[in-house]
Parts: sequence; C-alpha cells; structure tokens
Amino acid sequence: MTSKLREVPKYAFLSIVALLSVGPLYFMVVSATNTSQDVLGSSMLPGTNLIANWQSLTEFQDVGSAMYHSTVNAVLTTVLALVVSSIAGYGFEVYHSPNKDRLMWVLMLAMMIPFAATMIPLFQLFADFGMVNSAFAVVLPVIATPLLILLFRQAARSFPHEIIEAARMDGLKELAIFWKMFVPTMRPTYAAAAVITFMAAWNNFLWPKVILVNSDYQTMPMLISNFTGGYVIDYGALMLAVLIASLPTIVIFFVLQRSFVAGFTGVVK
Amino acid sequence: MKKLRTGMALAATATFALTLAACSGGDSNEGASGDAGGDEPMGNSLTVWAWDPAFNIYALQEAEKVYQAEHPDFTLDIQEVTWEDLQTKLTTLAQSQEFEELPDIFLMQNNAFQKNVINYPDLFTDITDSSVAFDEFPEGVTAYSTIDGANYGVPFDAGTAINAMRTDILEEAGLTLDDFTDITWDEYIALGEQVLEATGKPMLSGIAGEPDTILMMLQSAGQSLFDDEGNPTITDNEALSTSIELYSEMVEKGIYLEVNSWDEYIASIVNGNVASTINGVWISGSIQTAEDQAGMWGVTNLPSVDVDGATHFSANGGSSWAVSSNADVALAEDFLSATFAGSTELYDTILPGAGAVANWLPAGDSEVYAEPQEFFGGQAIYADVLSFAAGVPSNNTGAYYYEARDAVGAAITQIMGGADAATALGEAQSTVEFAMN
Repeated sequence: MTSKLREVPKYAFLSIVALLSVGPLYFMVVSATNTSQDVLGSSMLPGTNLIANWQSLTEFQDVGSAMYHSTVNAVLTTVLALVVSSIAGYGFEVYHSPNKDRLMWVLMLAMMIPFAATMIPLFQLFADFGMVNSAFAVVLPVIATPLLILLFRQAARSFPHEIIEAARMDGLKELAIFWKMFVPTMRPTYAAAAVITFMAAWNNFLWPKVILVNSDYQTMPMLISNFTGGYVIDYGALMLAVLIASLPTIVIFFVLQRSFVAGFTGVVK
Repeated sequence: MKKLRTGMALAATATFALTLAACSGGDSNEGASGDAGGDEPMGNSLTVWAWDPAFNIYALQEAEKVYQAEHPDFTLDIQEVTWEDLQTKLTTLAQSQEFEELPDIFLMQNNAFQKNVINYPDLFTDITDSSVAFDEFPEGVTAYSTIDGANYGVPFDAGTAINAMRTDILEEAGLTLDDFTDITWDEYIALGEQVLEATGKPMLSGIAGEPDTILMMLQSAGQSLFDDEGNPTITDNEALSTSIELYSEMVEKGIYLEVNSWDEYIASIVNGNVASTINGVWISGSIQTAEDQAGMWGVTNLPSVDVDGATHFSANGGSSWAVSSNADVALAEDFLSATFAGSTELYDTILPGAGAVANWLPAGDSEVYAEPQEFFGGQAIYADVLSFAAGVPSNNTGAYYYEARDAVGAAITQIMGGADAATALGEAQSTVEFAMN
C-alpha cells in the first residue's frame, strides 16, 4: 500500500507532463473543426465548422498539389540521403585512416555553417545549371548531412569487423559486403535516420521557398506560410492545414517508433 | 582496391562539398537591364508576385478581367508569395544577379520600398515616364515609392489609419463616436478612463515591443524616425517623445492592453476584450470576421498629438506595385495604368469584394464608396476613409526604416520596464547610426 502511495507523485508529475505534450496537439485537432473566432477564443471543444474550414482552405490553395510536391521531395530526400550518408559513414569507419578522420572533422565543422550563409551561392549554382523549380534542386543540398554520416559511422563502429574479414575471405566484393551484410543488420539505424530525414525534409521551408520560384511547385509548409501572410487569417482553416501537414510525419514516426529508439541506442549487442 | 575504398568515403562527401564549393560563385552579369523591354513589342502575358489571395490576388484577378475587356488575349500568371518570402527571394535574386527569375510585376510593402530601391536598384524599372498619372494619387502615398524624384511604384493598398470603435461598449460608458472625433490624445485618455471604469475594458490593444501605435502617432504629426536628408531623428524628436509618453501613460492606466503576438491582438478585438482599435483600414477585414458584432462598430479619425503640425490622420502599412527589371515593361506599364491607376470599374468591384480601399483619387467619386456598411452600423466608412487619406501627412521612411522601427521598439520595451527614456532613445539612435555606417 505504501509503495503504491509513493507512486502517486510520480504519476501525477507524468500526467502533467503528458497533458502539456498532448494539449497543443489536441488543440490543433479540435481547432480544425472550429470557426476562426472560436480558435482565437481558445475553445477546447470540437466544433461543427470542419467542412467550412475545408472549403475555406481549398478555395485559394491547392492542398492536393502541395501534398504531392511535399511527398515527392521528402521521399526523394530520404531515399537519397540514406544511401549516400550510410555509404559515407560506413566508408569512414571501415576504411579507417587518419586522413579520413581529418575529413570527418571538416564535415563536423561544416555543420556549424548556417544555411543562410550558403543560400545565395547555392541558388546561383542551381540557377546556372538551369535547375530552378526542379525537385532535384530541393533535394541535392540536403542528402549528405554530417549528422547522418556521423550516425552511420557510429553504427558501423559497432558492426564486428571480423564479419567483414570473414566475408572477404569467402570472396565477397566490398560493395556486396555493404549491401548484403551491413545494410540488413543496420535496419533500425536506417529507420531512425529515415524518421529524422523525412521529418526534416517534410518541414524544410527556406530553401524550397527560394529555389521553387514558381508557386505551382509549392509544398505544405509554403502553403501554411501563405495562409498567414494575408490581412485576415482564417485560423480554423489554418489549423486544418497544419493538421493535414502533420499527418504524414506522425504516421511515419509511429510506424518506425520501435526502430527509432534502437537505432540510437545501438543495434549489434 | 584502395582507390575504391577511398572513393566510397569521398564520393558521398562530394555532394556536400559541392554545396560549399558554390561559395566561389560565378560571374553571371547577364542580368536584364532596366529598360531592355521598353523597345520590344508588347507580349500578352505578365507574371506577378503578390500575397494574400483574399485581398491582393483577388484584386489582381479582377484587374486581369478589366484589362481583358480591351485585350482579350491577355493573361496574368499570379504567383502567391508571402511578403517575407518575397523579400527573401528579391534579396537572393539581387545578390546572385539572377534577374531572369524575376516576375514582370511584384507587390512591395510601402515601408520597404525605399530600402529595396536604394539597396538593389537593379531589381526595378523607373516608371516615371510611363502612362501612369502619379498626380492622381495622394502625395503622401507616392512618396513611399519615389526615390530621388523617380517613381518606381504604382500605389495600391491604402494603409490609411482608422479609429474603429465598439459603439455598444462606448454607450455603456455613456459615450458616442462623436465624443472621440477630432480630439487630442489627452482627451482620449480621459475618455478611455471613463470607459475602463464603466465597462472594465481597455480602449486599445497592441503587441508589446512593436511600435505601430507610436509610429502612427508620429506620422499623424507629419514626423518620422528620419529627417528629409535620411538621418535618424530618434533623439531630440519632440513628437516621438510625446508619443512615447502618451503610450506609457495609457499602458500604466490600463487603457492600452499589451499582448504578445499578432494572434492575441486579433483575438482581443474579435473576442470583445477591447473597446476599439487603431490601425490601417485593412484591419476592418479582421474586425468583420466577428459576425456576432455586426452593427456594433463605427469608424472615426485618430486623436491628435499635441505638437506642431498635428493632424487626425495617419497610415500603417499599405503596398505598391513595382515593375521589375526583367519585365515586359511596355505591357506592365500599360496594364497598371489601365487598371490600378485608371479603372473606377476595378475599384468599384474590389471595394465591396475585399474591402480594398483605393489610393487612386478618381475612384473615390464612385457611388460605391458612399454606400452604407451594415457591419459598421450603416456608416459609409469607405467614404470617410478616403477623406482621411487625403489628410495623411507624408513621411520619409528611408532605407533603414525597419532597423529604426526595431530599435525604437526595443527602446519602448526598456522604457516600459522603467529605463530612462532619453537614455533608451539615445541607444536606439546609435543602433540605427551604426547600422547605417
């Protein structure tokens, strides 16, 4: 009994924290069904304005097209980033040399350069290649991130080198070792990396906004930004747009949730 | 084999290195020159960048229809870009010299016009000699887009300030709209105390640390944060220090409710937490979303600051159309002069459709402006707004308007926190001077 009583403060504290985390999400969901005035009045009860909000949202904005472009950009980024960064991380660890360590340092330092500093030369580069408004221009600058390379390098560190040696003895080529042995073992790391990359790509705003000059190619974050740019903001419709934009990342996270934690804590035990 | 191994690590990093290698940049000076399009035959399509589908973009769509009546083949490709993003794009294009990505026409906030033309003249076309009759706009409005005597913009959205009041709340305190018409701020504060006592509601609300209200007071006295030569005048500015004193007094007495964000500001109005708001006429769109308050609003002019040159009229915001350096200049000029600078039909449509009040003076003669507005208790507010617009003193925004605005905002936060006003404003002055040097 006393031990149960001792649990009370713990659960009370956790309940408060849970409420604080879930509260804003709950507000987002109910607000999508409320009128603009109710949202501003912080109404926490579901309303009946969902259809009107949808009409208001789609009256000026092409949600289908924005979802399509967001999906293409995010999927393309995730696939390419996983391939490129995992090969790099594996290479850094397995073919280890002091020079590669130095190169890794350069990469880590590059993490500190703010994007705003490279944005204009980057734009110039892609404009010179005639790639303005293309999905590849959105994706290319973000497929090799130091963070992912570091994540895969750490994963490769826990991958037993004896297995690689044994595979070489058996005549497996280097790339085959990577694809057939490293990749299947490191699935949780890939899942964790996929979640991070997909979320970052889905929410990426500044670079797509600059390189996608034509608004026909706009993504969901750009659509939401457009919504807040007017004199009169329809908060109900805005919340519906935010809810729709959040769904894919929520789904991806829940699907890969278990692997997400394992991916960070280490795979090979 | 060794080459392959090294290659695996290097190949992956190459893409990343590519992004850095771009820093060296290239010499691409093939940007379009300002008047290249002038001698070419007119095309029949224009691209425009603008924000706000319910307001600016709606107005463009109506302008397209008006122009199509005379030019059936004409089409307008409207790209929705929010103001912040538009500014980012312009800066990126100007700095990377990629002018061919510019649209023909773009919308620009009046307060940012001087800054952009001075910093990035290559983005704009001088339209002084076009068919646009600039003298048909109030001088205070064309001043925003006039740099060294040359016109770069066709004024569109009027930022004329209104004092929109909840007549039902005033009534509870035994007051009417007339009591707030043609008064000074001192009188306003006395009446505000009366309203607060009777109803418990403050008169105004605004975002803490944002000096919109103070800048409207300043402009109503014909003053700005810069003198005619563009030097900052944050210190030794009687109108500014008086405005700040009035603002502090209102906050201290509970007449002015300071909130933390734009959303809270709008919420304070539509939820009926305040008795009035003072802002550009565009605020009427947000006010009218509170459908339960129909008939309870009225509009009057602003209180005046007790200094020389004081008026009851001011402005906040507003925007103008700019013709880019990459434009089909002849077509862009003809389109603008036939629509936003020449069509009463256009303004007659967009006023009731979006509450877009014309800057173009001849549009004011239209009967549409004299129509009573039910939401505002049957008052013909747009005719009143036009009469206010004619009295708005022009002020010099200069190239550093936003820097000065931010510095004054920071100073006001300090003053409200108890700092000495002269010291805080002195700091703001040096911040702006530092930014300018």
